Amino acid sequence: MLLQQVVNGLTLGSTYAIIALGYTLIFGVLNIVNMAHGEIFMIGAFVGLMLVTKLQTGIFTALAGAMLTGAVLGYLLERIALRPLRRREVSHLAPLISTIGVSIFLESLALKIFGPQAQSFPPVFSGQLFELGTLKISIIQIVILAVSFGLMIALRFWLAKTKMGKSIRATAENLETAGLLGVNTSQVIIVTVMLASGLGSVAGVLVGLAFNAVEPTMGITMGFKGLAVLILGGLGNITGAMVGGLLLGIAEVFSVAYGESSYREAVAFGLIIILLFIRPQGLFGSGSAQGGR
Amino acid sequence: MDQWLNPYYLQIVMFMLINAMLGISIYFTLATGQLSLGNAGFMSVGAYTSALLSLKAGLPLYLSIPAGGVAACVLAAVIGIPATRLQGIYLAIATLGFGEVVRVIILNMKVTNGALGLSGIPALSVQIGKQLNSLGLGSGLGGITVQQLSNLSVIGLLALVVIFLVFFALRLRHSRLGRAFAAIKDDEHAAEVTGVDTVRYKLLAFFMSAFVAGIAGALAAHITFYIGPKDFSYHRAVEILLFAVLGGGNVIWGPLLGAGILTLLPELLRTVADYREMIYGGILVIMMIFRPQGLISEETLRLWRSKLFPAAKTEQEAVARRSAG
Repeated sequence: MLLQQVVNGLTLGSTYAIIALGYTLIFGVLNIVNMAHGEIFMIGAFVGLMLVTKLQTGIFTALAGAMLTGAVLGYLLERIALRPLRRREVSHLAPLISTIGVSIFLESLALKIFGPQAQSFPPVFSGQLFELGTLKISIIQIVILAVSFGLMIALRFWLAKTKMGKSIRATAENLETAGLLGVNTSQVIIVTVMLASGLGSVAGVLVGLAFNAVEPTMGITMGFKGLAVLILGGLGNITGAMVGGLLLGIAEVFSVAYGESSYREAVAFGLIIILLFIRPQGLFGSGSAQGGR
Repeated sequence: MDQWLNPYYLQIVMFMLINAMLGISIYFTLATGQLSLGNAGFMSVGAYTSALLSLKAGLPLYLSIPAGGVAACVLAAVIGIPATRLQGIYLAIATLGFGEVVRVIILNMKVTNGALGLSGIPALSVQIGKQLNSLGLGSGLGGITVQQLSNLSVIGLLALVVIFLVFFALRLRHSRLGRAFAAIKDDEHAAEVTGVDTVRYKLLAFFMSAFVAGIAGALAAHITFYIGPKDFSYHRAVEILLFAVLGGGNVIWGPLLGAGILTLLPELLRTVADYREMIYGGILVIMMIFRPQGLISEETLRLWRSKLFPAAKTEQEAVARRSAG
């Protein structure tokens, strides 16, 4: 029973981790919180759903399609809502506000196109259960775990070893210095936002599969959870986002299993409000009280 | 006369004044350069506290409405104290989360009647109507029915609150407190180095904002007679933010103008009401790109002042010179 809950928690948590990674990458490089991330996640979920239901594609094609759409949205987001603000001196709240604008826009657009009701994936994907002793694990859970852990490992490797990954880390360290040292920072920023949005969209499909429901409001609720993980793990900290996501997933599953299920949505922010009292820089944040700057 | 005093118009005016209060509430936190997205949450706390106190405990409205403001303030302390010690971004996220937690709690509690919300909340206008009746105005006054009269009194009351808040904000600007706020907004580190207790002032601004939002929520509850968790969602928080972003968050007139425009616009343009959220989103992005300071900024005010009162300007400069010298 306990092990079962842990597996369920890890499945949920790995999707949270992927969402939070998107926030973290953008925060690390640009030092802003991208409030539109949740909505890009939601659009990704819808694109995946449409590919599966309307075009009868396989699940991996749907994931790839969602990722591509997410990357395109990320490009547009950077061009429309972020880049114009970087050109001149504006308050640090400006990007936060303009991405809130994008989020509201995308949400109501999705409401117009897809309608307010929740839609679900065809039953082909939910069937089969594997039993390992007392542990039951569905094929969906295996897909989710494999895809999200695969992405996390690939991202780690990519950031650590490739030239682009190194440029991203250098830019995250200090944008101006990286620019002086010959890093094409505006290209790095575009790549980062596209990558983060692509990851967010994949997470959308995974969450849509996990809950078997895709609806326009899921962007807000899941976006909030990603934000909670962002603070939980420490702003801009990649490891923090991964571990924080898994922790939140497990905490939520346990609160449903052993507590009050209707308060599940409040668990994430209950956690961060407590955390802000005890360890405000996040679980993996650096020692300074300024957070992961 | 009757045409102008129909309940629909009067209600729009009331909403405009309530929104003006909410605009002022976000202005207080913006005055210290912080972004609080919890105003919808504080509003709901104020609304539910006051509604429940008057519904279940029979408390008179002149006590329950301030109690709503105080309750919002208390909750502001719970999240404000840890969050304001950190970068501004923490407050934005923590308050956003706070709004969500409050919504979930309200949705699940018995006393708040869950998703159905509270109805039959004692109405401000009815209470005032009773008072008017006891004053012998039961038959109305000079062609205005008692209903219209009590609605007008509610508007008068709301307008008084708004005028008081505006006056307060204007006085604040040139006080020690207001200068501390402005210094923090300009450069937090510089302010701290020059001896401004930044944490204390940021918290104070945050409390003021929560209190005003709580009062506005309480008043709204007693005007609409019905409140539900849906009234205080994330969209509400964004709408409040939009008052300040559109009108301008640097001067008190900005949020007032923003609240006025954004209350009237959906009423005037019924056909685009379906696309309201999309338009709101677009406005936020466009304002940030082209005019991040909002429609009214300090420069606009200065320009108008010098155009309208050329004499007053020289007088002001003289005052400025004297105080500088």
